[in-house]
Amino acid sequence: MTEPKKLTLSSNRPYWRSMNDLSQTKEFRTFVENEFPEGTVDLDGLSRRSFLSLMGASLALAGLAGCRRPVEKILPYVAAPEDILPGIPLTYASALPLGLDTAGILIENHEGRPTKIEGNDLHPGSRGKASAWTQAEILGLYDPDRSQRPARFGQETRWEEFLAYWKQVSSDAKAKQGEGLAILSGSFTSPTLRRLQAEFKTTFPKARWYTHEAVSDHNILAGLRRATRKPVQPVYHFEKADVILSLDSDFLLTERDAVRNAAGFAQRRRVENEQDDMNRLYVVESSMSVTGGMADHRLRLPSSLVGAFAAALVYRLQFLGLELPVVEAVMDYGHLKLNSDWVNEIATDLMFSQKRSIVIAGRHQPPEVHALVAGINEALYNIGETIEYYSTEDIQPDRPADIHDLQEHLFSGAVDTLICLDVNPVYTNSGTPSFLSALRKANHSIHLGMYRDETGAACEWHAPLAHPLESWGDLRYSDGSISIIQPQIQPLFGAKNAIEYVSTLIDPANVSAYSEVQKTFRSIIGKNNFESRWKKALHDGIVDRSKSVPIRATIKHPRLIAAVRGNPFPFPAQIKDRYELVIRPSASTYDGRFSNNGWLQELPDPVTKLTWDNAVLLSRSLAEELDVENQDVLRITVKGESIECPVWIMPGQADRTLTLELGFGRTHAGRIGNGVGVNVYPLFSQNGALISRKIRVEKTGEIRILACTQDHHGLDTEKLAADAIQKRLPAIYREATLEEYRANPDFVEEAVEHPPLKSLWDEPDYSQGPQWGMTIDLNVCTGCNACTIACQSENNIPIVGKSQVLKGREMHWLRLDRYYKGDFDNPEMVMEPVGCQQCENAPCEQVCPVGATTHTPDGLNAMAYNRCVGTRYCSNNCPYKVRRFNFFNYTKDTPEIVKMAMNPDVTVRFRGVMEKCTYCVQRINRGKITSKNEHRDLMDGDIISACQQTCPTDAIVFGDIRDPNSAVSRVKKQNRNYALLGEFNTKPRTTYLARLHNPNPRLKTES
Amino acid sequence: MAEALPLKNEKMHVATEADLITGNQTFHTITENISSITEGKTPKLWFLLWGMAVSLLLVLFGSVGFLVWNGTGVWGLNNPVGWGWAIVNFVWWVGIGHAGTLISAILFLLRQRWRTSINRFAEAMTLFAVICALLFPGIHIGRMWVIYYFFPVPNQMGVWPNFRSPLLWDFFAVGTYFTVSLLFWYTGLIPDLATLRDRAKTRLRKLTFGALALGWRGGNRQWQHYEIAYLVLAGLSTPLVLSVHSVVSSDFATSIVPGWHTTIFPPYFVAGAIYSGFAMVLTLGLIARKVYHLEHIITLNHLDKMAKIMLVTGSMVGYSYAMEFFIAWYSGNQYEAFAFINRAFGPYAWAYWIMIFCNVIVPQFFWFKKIRRSVGLLFFASILVNIGMWFERFVITVTSLSRDYLPSAWDYYSPTIWDIATFVGSFGLFFTLFLLFLRFLPMIAMAEVKGVLPQADPHYTAGGTHE
Repeated sequence: MTEPKKLTLSSNRPYWRSMNDLSQTKEFRTFVENEFPEGTVDLDGLSRRSFLSLMGASLALAGLAGCRRPVEKILPYVAAPEDILPGIPLTYASALPLGLDTAGILIENHEGRPTKIEGNDLHPGSRGKASAWTQAEILGLYDPDRSQRPARFGQETRWEEFLAYWKQVSSDAKAKQGEGLAILSGSFTSPTLRRLQAEFKTTFPKARWYTHEAVSDHNILAGLRRATRKPVQPVYHFEKADVILSLDSDFLLTERDAVRNAAGFAQRRRVENEQDDMNRLYVVESSMSVTGGMADHRLRLPSSLVGAFAAALVYRLQFLGLELPVVEAVMDYGHLKLNSDWVNEIATDLMFSQKRSIVIAGRHQPPEVHALVAGINEALYNIGETIEYYSTEDIQPDRPADIHDLQEHLFSGAVDTLICLDVNPVYTNSGTPSFLSALRKANHSIHLGMYRDETGAACEWHAPLAHPLESWGDLRYSDGSISIIQPQIQPLFGAKNAIEYVSTLIDPANVSAYSEVQKTFRSIIGKNNFESRWKKALHDGIVDRSKSVPIRATIKHPRLIAAVRGNPFPFPAQIKDRYELVIRPSASTYDGRFSNNGWLQELPDPVTKLTWDNAVLLSRSLAEELDVENQDVLRITVKGESIECPVWIMPGQADRTLTLELGFGRTHAGRIGNGVGVNVYPLFSQNGALISRKIRVEKTGEIRILACTQDHHGLDTEKLAADAIQKRLPAIYREATLEEYRANPDFVEEAVEHPPLKSLWDEPDYSQGPQWGMTIDLNVCTGCNACTIACQSENNIPIVGKSQVLKGREMHWLRLDRYYKGDFDNPEMVMEPVGCQQCENAPCEQVCPVGATTHTPDGLNAMAYNRCVGTRYCSNNCPYKVRRFNFFNYTKDTPEIVKMAMNPDVTVRFRGVMEKCTYCVQRINRGKITSKNEHRDLMDGDIISACQQTCPTDAIVFGDIRDPNSAVSRVKKQNRNYALLGEFNTKPRTTYLARLHNPNPRLKTES
Repeated sequence: MAEALPLKNEKMHVATEADLITGNQTFHTITENISSITEGKTPKLWFLLWGMAVSLLLVLFGSVGFLVWNGTGVWGLNNPVGWGWAIVNFVWWVGIGHAGTLISAILFLLRQRWRTSINRFAEAMTLFAVICALLFPGIHIGRMWVIYYFFPVPNQMGVWPNFRSPLLWDFFAVGTYFTVSLLFWYTGLIPDLATLRDRAKTRLRKLTFGALALGWRGGNRQWQHYEIAYLVLAGLSTPLVLSVHSVVSSDFATSIVPGWHTTIFPPYFVAGAIYSGFAMVLTLGLIARKVYHLEHIITLNHLDKMAKIMLVTGSMVGYSYAMEFFIAWYSGNQYEAFAFINRAFGPYAWAYWIMIFCNVIVPQFFWFKKIRRSVGLLFFASILVNIGMWFERFVITVTSLSRDYLPSAWDYYSPTIWDIATFVGSFGLFFTLFLLFLRFLPMIAMAEVKGVLPQADPHYTAGGTHE
């Protein structure tokens, strides 16, 4: 306590905002350097050796603890920052990029420590919702494996050295007018970065700027460009579409704008009573997706035949009288009679839904398919109604050719100094010729990234990049709306962001991203009322009136005809007996950028329910042909490149399609992501996402164990179990067609017969105060996993690692049950989120010997962690199996910095106690306290559970069931409302709304 | 010591009350034969066996230590299967104990005088089995250090245990059972402890047995009080034989889990417990009989009677299995029906059929007198029944949990090395205690055996009957 002004660090609150200038002290640096040593998280329990050493060490510690006085210095809020009330979180608006996608977000900030990400309701792309990826970014922010200091040739150096070098690069390049200088960046939509990119080009006229993105929307944009001759991007209004045809597009989860799409889709699908109608979704796809699960009619078709299918559809539509001049070019497909009943009925349905339909194709379909789809949409008068086109001129999409050009220029020596800006080409281009070999030719290479990843390790220089949550920036949404990214915290590791790097490269005098962003905004919104508009933009998270006007882009038929002439799509006869390889982004790690995010790694894939791994998905018939079973490793070779990947047999998979996922097999991701799964980029980087030629598949004889959270050990394939599941599905997952529902609105009542329900005990009185309840509308739940991550983030749910998942010990409070219904090869897929049902007559409460789980007066099935002794009897007696036991002290190895992502309002549970969904009791209590402080009654909507808050389709409704006017009471009155396993008189407070299908009566679903 | 004993019975009588004890024993020979075992030099074999038992006990300490250090996760449990080997072992060990109480209490009340030869070590077996049993619920909970939350003591938390929970009933049932069994066993020991005290040659033995004998002098009034106390304790123990396992079964029966939620469980569990208990008494008795040459005290008639009890209880168990299946089908409840079909044909079918073979098929051989009186076959059968009854508890506990209502939660449970080590280690605890008992306490109730000798009833001549 000798230098009062430099007092800083208490180990659990080091990063307060007011510590701005303290980050330069020596103490801070040693703290940052020593606090997070390298090493892996050992979640597998202890080996004998480490057991013994730990035992010794902790005995020693136990002895020391007695004589240890706290030596950390604490920092008081001598002058409290405005607006901060300790214990009351503040919420700030910001935005996060994902490729060309923008997520408008709100961030919960506890005394300068961001802890949770939610969607911003003012943002047109988010509408208050956030995907699993977006929400998991909070964990990414506190990743201890993020790069913390610059490095040269793998040796960490001081910032001054790098900054001096950076200045040198700038001045050298200026001297040569940028000759030999190149930047490789990802696609971006930041107006400031766009402006700086232009300045970069004027400052360094001979320099090059390449863009590269593994998961690319290039095909979509290129297809539209060919059809319309304009650089446009689509924005969909699914809320206006009655009939939707998805051609291999997972628009509800992994495609661009999925959150918005899902919200719109659900809006048009939600049914309140039997008078309502709903949209109809046709999905044509090769491998089961979340979107395929929502389909009313799903056709499994090899992805390579989707083009032919689209062409046949064009032919049929034209036959039905739609004006489609392009038909002459695709006449050959029309004569094929490819799935003709499907084509005919879909075409008829679309014809009757002009202006109210959407045809959408997946990003891995070639540009010709997208061009054709644009033609169909225009002919159906959907453009301007359900689909809008916006200009892409203000954003920077990626150019797939760039990476190959860059490689050539590196080999030829034309690029001498390469700056890799927030990209990881060494990983995403690991095919032959590998980017690594090209990179070695550069005299100077600089990697600017959040991690010292594969590229960072290969470059001469590496410098850390700030996380979007700790930097200033801006993003433009596809409809042109602009969001400002505002930092929530000082950069944890003193890193700089992309704007700062580029602006200082242009002019070393530029220092602050803040002023750069403001400068951009002065040019966009003008100088009038700049301060107030700027403040409003920061507050709202979206710049007022920044939305663009949709472009009238009409199809240029001659161009379109030229684009699809010459039968560009394979014919069924051509691909018969051929394998087809489809490579798609992972629903957890995307293209690999989320590899080191434990929440996402442990998040079960929505369809396969695999965690901590990727697999090659095959149909059962192909597996039989190759003589493989689940977890057998296959070697897949394409043009000399091969990978070895374990098999996962997928129901609903096209017979000869092999589906792979990007984003795994990292070597420099960090302690979480290293060595998880298989890197499929060697096949992808040269051949793209859809490969139908020269594929060789062979069995290696090895086995790789996969951690699946459902169907453990192939239980579903065992006939006894499979039959039992099919038999109980009508009771646990109730559904009907719209027609059946109208004929029999109370069909849910008839699913199960049971005797009168009588309780063994006197039932508590639930007639006073608010009584909490929830409904989950199975008709709109897509199974996107956003709720699971919201719950994990809100409730400090630990990750347990692959070995624990293999043992069946994952901790998610809210799991998504996925069932296949019907024929294994062509099933219906259904999703059912199951968390604690908060039974009024809870079987768990009755059996707890110590009364650790009891009922609160407001109807919550509460857990007193302190009282729990861990008999696990409650879990055994829970018919829903939603209780989660802390088999180990799962948070023991949580790095100090990751603890900052924890919600301070929620206990971190200790080893040996049971935990489960609480209906976000901390939010309930906060709502109660707030209303009490404001001297008013609680109102409907005051309390929103985390899962409800983020659900993109608003499937989850939570509130007071005693209030007859609350949203949840109104939903519970609907006739589709049923209690899961209600026949056991558990009286669950969570109930489900039965799913409805809207099949085309003229189309029989079989294939 | 062994030399003093007659090694063989020359001729075999039909079992009658009078020749319960063979070999022309007198009060003195009984005292001499039994007491000398505790007084003589410790045999090398004992050291060998005890060393093995203590090694296993160390395995138990090691595996429990590892468990306490790391957490319940070292076992193979998972989310649907919250109870595994620990609970299986608990129920199994409690079941084992039942035979001891049945022999000492119920057979006492029923004046089955043949029990005197086996009751002492059967009771000891009960005690040690219950100690082993009590170990498991203690260590299987997630936070053993707060196990006192079970105790209904007023506390600063103002929280009371939940009396609706069968686990709490269990806690009291097994606790009472242990206490009463201990008292009963100790009361029965007092005259024999006094005998040992009187024979003691060293100061340590004098002091120890002197203290333990509680001043027993063998006077008439003492005998009168003693007999009353023994009778009262027998009366107290008798309902416990039925209640303890009924309560243990309600851990399962009161739950909602398909395959557990069955009203047949209490009688079925009690029958199973007595069945397994007798199997264990046979296993241990046959060994002790052989090692200590007690063939004249534990005769073939005793073995024959025990085999008959096993035949009865084994058949009751078999009937229960069949009835469970029938009711599962008859209920029309698909979850219940599946639970049983899954037991027989699902992933745990192997365990189910081991159980059926050991528990249903094996005892049927006891219809044959030759088998009932064949020491080798009886020993083999008793081991099989012990195994079968362990698997019964495994099948009930694990198969039901592994596949209950929602298929998404289904999972397969398999034990880890630590589950196995803990179970194996519990035998170490059992045998360590049991061997100490054999070495230091009279394994046969001398006073009671003397009571069934012809000399104890001078009105009757040898070979006569009551009537």
